[in-house]
Amino acid sequence: MDVLGLYPMWYVPTIGSAIVIGIIASIHVMASHVSVGASILLAYLATKAYKENQPQIYDYIKRYLLTLLVFSYVSGSISGPGIWFSATVANPRGISALIHNFVWVWAAEWIWFVAEVTLVYILFYTLGRIDQKSWLKLAWIFAVGSWATMYIIVGILSFMLSPGHEKWFTTGNILDAFYNKNYFPHLLMRSSYMLAFAGVMGLGIAHLMKKGISEKVYKDIVRTMSYWGIAGVIFGSVFFAWYYSTLPERSHVILSGVVPTSYYVGIGLVLLAILAYFTLTSIVPNLARIYASIPLLILIFAIGVFPEEKIRESLRKPYIAGEFVWVNQIIDKDIPAKGIENEVNKINEKGFLAVNAFVPEGLKTITPENKIMAGKAVAILQCSGCHNVTGASGLRPFAKKFEGMTSEDAVYGFLANYLTPQAHPPYMPYFVGKDEELRALSAYIADMISKGGRVSAKIEVPPASYEARK
Amino acid sequence: MVKELRQDLIRWFLLATLAFMLIGGKLALAAQSPEQIGAMLKAMRDPAGSPFFPVAMQILQVLTWALHMVFVWTSVGGLLYAIYGLTRKDENHKRLARAMIELSKVSVSLAIVLGVAPLLFYQVIYDPLWYTSANLSASWYIMFIVFLLIGYYLLWFAYFSRKKDSLATLFSIGSVIFLILVGFIIHVVNYQSLFPEKWVEWYTSGGTTMNHSGLNIYSFNILRFVSLLIFPSIAVTGVFMMLYSWYFGKRKDFEGDKEYIAFTSRLGAKLALYAGALWIVTHILYILTIPSDWNAKGSIFTILSIVGLLICAGIIFMAQKNPIQMAIPSLLGGVVATLTIAIFREYLRVASTARFGYSIYDYKVNLEWLSPALFLGTTLTGLLLYAYTWWMAYRAGSTPKGEVYHANEVESSLGNAAVFVVILWAVVFILTGFIIVIRNYA
Repeated sequence: MDVLGLYPMWYVPTIGSAIVIGIIASIHVMASHVSVGASILLAYLATKAYKENQPQIYDYIKRYLLTLLVFSYVSGSISGPGIWFSATVANPRGISALIHNFVWVWAAEWIWFVAEVTLVYILFYTLGRIDQKSWLKLAWIFAVGSWATMYIIVGILSFMLSPGHEKWFTTGNILDAFYNKNYFPHLLMRSSYMLAFAGVMGLGIAHLMKKGISEKVYKDIVRTMSYWGIAGVIFGSVFFAWYYSTLPERSHVILSGVVPTSYYVGIGLVLLAILAYFTLTSIVPNLARIYASIPLLILIFAIGVFPEEKIRESLRKPYIAGEFVWVNQIIDKDIPAKGIENEVNKINEKGFLAVNAFVPEGLKTITPENKIMAGKAVAILQCSGCHNVTGASGLRPFAKKFEGMTSEDAVYGFLANYLTPQAHPPYMPYFVGKDEELRALSAYIADMISKGGRVSAKIEVPPASYEARK
Repeated sequence: MVKELRQDLIRWFLLATLAFMLIGGKLALAAQSPEQIGAMLKAMRDPAGSPFFPVAMQILQVLTWALHMVFVWTSVGGLLYAIYGLTRKDENHKRLARAMIELSKVSVSLAIVLGVAPLLFYQVIYDPLWYTSANLSASWYIMFIVFLLIGYYLLWFAYFSRKKDSLATLFSIGSVIFLILVGFIIHVVNYQSLFPEKWVEWYTSGGTTMNHSGLNIYSFNILRFVSLLIFPSIAVTGVFMMLYSWYFGKRKDFEGDKEYIAFTSRLGAKLALYAGALWIVTHILYILTIPSDWNAKGSIFTILSIVGLLICAGIIFMAQKNPIQMAIPSLLGGVVATLTIAIFREYLRVASTARFGYSIYDYKVNLEWLSPALFLGTTLTGLLLYAYTWWMAYRAGSTPKGEVYHANEVESSLGNAAVFVVILWAVVFILTGFIIVIRNYA
């Protein structure tokens, strides 16, 4: 058996598996950024409470910790593995590439996760039950430990975009991969915005507690949240500019030509709204409202974080990891340091369907009977990471990309000239496989368009092909 | 009449066991030869190889899985008892049920966070098994996250409504259903992964299609499921009840609650004994369903897993007379049982894949020392900070309500050391980054 290490494919019609990851990732980014940002703000407030002997601040901290436990730690601790789970089924070879390079780094992050999760409970339950100085130590350990999880994950995320340097391909040195070109701007950008997110949450909680604490303490807390929040938005935007300058060239092309303008407008507006809120509350602390914080947090999620996650995913294209695994899970590069070999030549020689153990035998050799179904299999296996290949809506649908192209020859002519190593766009892999497989893909697309641009995702191996293979 | 009914029940039970044995692998429609399956498994290994010796990954996986499972068991067991306790008239039951909801709530958090490590180490050496099986039932795999989220939020609702019995019972029932469903999904993915000879047949429905929806569940084994999740949950929660009595029984403000403490410890010991007995029975029955071509039934690891459970059962049996005094030995017995089960479970993977010439010990290794050093350094940092933070939590918990515990000199120094190493870790991490970035890009 001459197969490559490809896995069974999971195909999600219309929205695509990429959106599934995007939704889960956005929930996680919201929850984790709020909780890491809050861990620092709360440690700062605890120091203030201890030094200025303001015990009412502890009441606020306790309330914030409970909010974190209920919202951030439930959704955050589940959506974190959720990203991993969804990546496992959406792109197993992509996540595998990361795990096989960074397993120890992730394991180190896990040490901090355990500290973070146990500490949030310990802080909540021991507040007022151990002396203030000891509690303060716990609070700072929690803050640094929570932030440490970000130190680690940012290196892996940055590597996903690009190792940043050709060096890693030949040295294989984990430090070259991890501390890549955009590590620091990325870390600082996230660290800044997380303070702003936590500040928005903090203002809402302050409003809820207004009656239970003195006016002085209330104003102190609101001003603290506002000042840190303003700094978070401003520094976050400055570091974004730095981050932008470290992106690979292909990402600039994607940012300027592929990402919809509405994404930028949404993100810009939400940042302005947060800045305005913080500015107002820093001047008039009584303006802090839970009715403002909750809608703002929803806006941050919907038109800030979700588009940001989608942009970040697009920036990596055509790769999913480290500029060597394509988004369709094919490895297109030799990495001598790791003994990884480019798979393109082998696929071109043996056939794309033939090298996948999970393709039915009856589709591996293309015949007039199975041509359409084989083409559909190619589309699902090679294109569905970024396209809805069976419909006219959702994720970059084939029906719109090939609108009006009902002739196999027309589709073939287009693809054969467009998806080549020389002509393919910088954000898209070129086609790999035998010429008859490209023909089959073209036949499938033409057939789908002629049927109105929407077909069932089901693959049925024609009985003749199935029997022949048996 | 009763005798006939009993005989019928035994017959049906044996028939069901036989059915599971058949499901367990002997009816494989293998279209690939063992050599082809072996080649497929090897091709599926990540070309980057393992960055460290596979055996280290294997050991860490087994140890962290055991730790993870303890909290999975107390999550489910705590809720199962809470449902029972909240519906009793006895005030002791109700009070303990509320405490068990609290235990369950914290346990889910810990189970989630502790579950990351075994899956991580496992995916390095068993990537072909996990990624294939997860993708075969991909939609369920995603629903794992959704169900866990629902189950956990329902648990929080149960916690917030714990003083309203009927509401808390309702939320607890909802929560435990979702948590058990979550356990079922992960059971399916693990179980399917043990049958590489069936994967292609399953995915292609015998070569006729590609089941890419991920909606199918291809195999499960009810005996494995109950022996790894349901009965241990009750038994281990029983041991936790004994520990609960041991810990709080010493607290001054519990002096007026001697009867409650005695009730809790006795109940815990009983639950541990009866559920433990069912755990052993279902474990043995599960062993009987293991396909014979794995050559696993008589293995030393299989026997050890039974011995581990029996040792634990023996200690718990002895604990019935004085459960509080025997709480710590029972905990140690539980540790032995959990570890032997964890080893047995890992051994099954070795046995299953050995049929196709697959061995994790010949996994390609791209050895490097820097990231293991990072892990080691972080672990040492973590151990110091865990020691401090958990010790302080223990101290705070032993202090009567309304009083404040003041750290002694040693605890204070430990706290300073913990803060110092945590900051030192961060500084070293960032400085290393500066040096590398300057070296590569300046």
